[in-house]
Amino acid sequence: MLEARRLEEQPELAVEAKDLTKRFGKFVAVDHINLEIRRGENFGLLGPNGAGKTTTIRMITGVIKPSEGYVKVFGIDVAKERKKVLKYIGYMPQKFSLYEDLTVEENIRLYGRLQGLTGSLLRERVRELLERFYLWEFRRRLAGKLSGGMKQRLALATALVHDPALLILDEPTAGVDPPLRRKFWEHFRELNKEGKTILVTTHYMDEAENCDRLALMNRGRIIAEGTPREIKRRALGGDLVEIVFEGHLDPTALPGVKSVLEDSRERYLLIVEDAGKDLPRIVKKAEELGAKILVASPVHVSLEEAFIRFMGESE
Amino acid sequence: MIELEEGIRKGLRIIPIVDKEIRQLVRDPKTILMVLLMPITVTILFGYGYGGKGVGKYPITVVDLDGGDGAFKFIQELRNSKMFQIKAIYKSKGQGFSSVYSGKVYASLVIPETFTEDLMEGRPTRVELYYDASNPSVAQMIMQAVGVVTQQFQEWAASRFGTFAITPMFYTVYGPKIKKIESFIPTLMAMILQMVPTSLISVSICREREKGTFEQFIMTPVSVFDIIFGKLTAYFFATISDATLSLFTAVLLFDVKLKGTFLDMTIVSTVFLLNSLSLGLLISVFSKNQLQAYQASIFSFIIFMLFSGVFIPVDVLSTEAKMIASFVPMYYFVTAFRNVSLKGWSYLMVLDQLAVISMFTFAFLALSLRFLRMEVT
Repeated sequence: MLEARRLEEQPELAVEAKDLTKRFGKFVAVDHINLEIRRGENFGLLGPNGAGKTTTIRMITGVIKPSEGYVKVFGIDVAKERKKVLKYIGYMPQKFSLYEDLTVEENIRLYGRLQGLTGSLLRERVRELLERFYLWEFRRRLAGKLSGGMKQRLALATALVHDPALLILDEPTAGVDPPLRRKFWEHFRELNKEGKTILVTTHYMDEAENCDRLALMNRGRIIAEGTPREIKRRALGGDLVEIVFEGHLDPTALPGVKSVLEDSRERYLLIVEDAGKDLPRIVKKAEELGAKILVASPVHVSLEEAFIRFMGESE
Repeated sequence: MIELEEGIRKGLRIIPIVDKEIRQLVRDPKTILMVLLMPITVTILFGYGYGGKGVGKYPITVVDLDGGDGAFKFIQELRNSKMFQIKAIYKSKGQGFSSVYSGKVYASLVIPETFTEDLMEGRPTRVELYYDASNPSVAQMIMQAVGVVTQQFQEWAASRFGTFAITPMFYTVYGPKIKKIESFIPTLMAMILQMVPTSLISVSICREREKGTFEQFIMTPVSVFDIIFGKLTAYFFATISDATLSLFTAVLLFDVKLKGTFLDMTIVSTVFLLNSLSLGLLISVFSKNQLQAYQASIFSFIIFMLFSGVFIPVDVLSTEAKMIASFVPMYYFVTAFRNVSLKGWSYLMVLDQLAVISMFTFAFLALSLRFLRMEVT
């Protein structure tokens, strides 16, 4: 109770990293990154393989020590008071890390016991998780004999055994079939709705759209941070809109236009300050100038495009 | 959330770890085979290779140059000790020597001319043992046994003729090739109690690191203490059978006659088994992978064997080698187990050795606790 109440009083931040750095010899895997993950947020850490995502995650879970800087989870310094932090964190490592020679049920039970659950509480919790993640009928199967998707479900169930407030998932959908990946994200959204803060890494850009906020990592640094929309805006320097019209129109005369990406006679791809505000003004102005607007709409930009732009800039 | 928080227990997490380790061990058929079959196999190989069924006594000859009552009484005392089978009593040293040279017996005991006379007058005297040094462990057994008999005889004589001393003198002779399995029981036990447990447990932590399970494991509130003692306990239960198995195999198959009680031998074996497991854990803490751990445990095993006195008695080694031997727990075990199993001593009489072995155990565990990193690499 006491512990629970203390958590309620914690500051808004679930994770706070400051100047977090990890060096392996001369190689700098993570280079002075700052991160702030708010409570209840679904936060995505994005980047190509080798960007330093796993190293960052491992410093947050405390399984490796930072060379410089610190990480606080719910206000507790992980390097200094790791044991206190552990009960708030549920962790699903990138590689399947459960015991392949124990059964599904034995794995969850073991972790329940290691987390300090006993008796009927333990039994109920194990049963609940087995059912929730569709593992009940496989509970007596050795973990090593499970398919990839089932292994991931087991890993997720195990990470949740002590009902942690922060769920850290390192590439949870790597190697999982696309339909199953969607199913996983449904689980994550559900857990997020239940009030759990989620920190998830992925290199699938389409998945990252599901996150409340993102940080893009490349070569050990965070090169962009914000909501998916903010990140895309920042990559282009604004929103992308498409205008199709009849007649003559000088794009630079339109309000809010920052640059012209494409100019193919009666179709423009423009970058504007804010698509929501600027589009109606553009239509109005264009008509004042005598052109007939056929289409005026925001264009969907993929995160991937945004990311590639950022990577280009950072190099 | 609150409901769970209330139910969460603090404190040690050893029992779930023991449970887990034993389940994992039992599910690995290769491990079971190694734990159960290796002691039996080694015992059988030793049994057949080193003489099979024996009479349970060391054959020796006696050269009685004295011919008096004192000598007669001493010979009787040798017989009573049940450690010797006196093949012949000669009247000349030459006959005695040749009985050792020819390989008929391990040793020849010479009682000097003035033995009875010295005895009656309370003068210091001696007996001379000419033994086959080609088989050091047997030779050592005989020397110890002669020492014991002399001691007993001296006490008896002192009560009748007053205080004096009988010094056993030892001389080496090279000769026979006969060996007996009893004298190899301590060696056998040392091997079995060292090799299987150490190599088995030595991979336990680095396997977790290698397979990645350690990363999940240390996300729970387990402590270094829980891990070390959880694994130690589990592997102890798994390997304690080894000691019993090999003893029973030796007794049943080769008719080995051990003087020690089962309890005494079990106590001494247990103390050493805990040492072997602690050493294995220490190796596991420092090894990068399973292969390295295996190599380290085999390497330490070889060193232990060389300096434990099972091949060459430590007494006859160089000063440097003696120094090394004093850091080898197996040396203390072999000494203690030899006394308990072959001489029928109680474990209380080998407490010194047990204390030294336990000190090493303590040191290995302390180092493991100190250097086990709750981190991944």
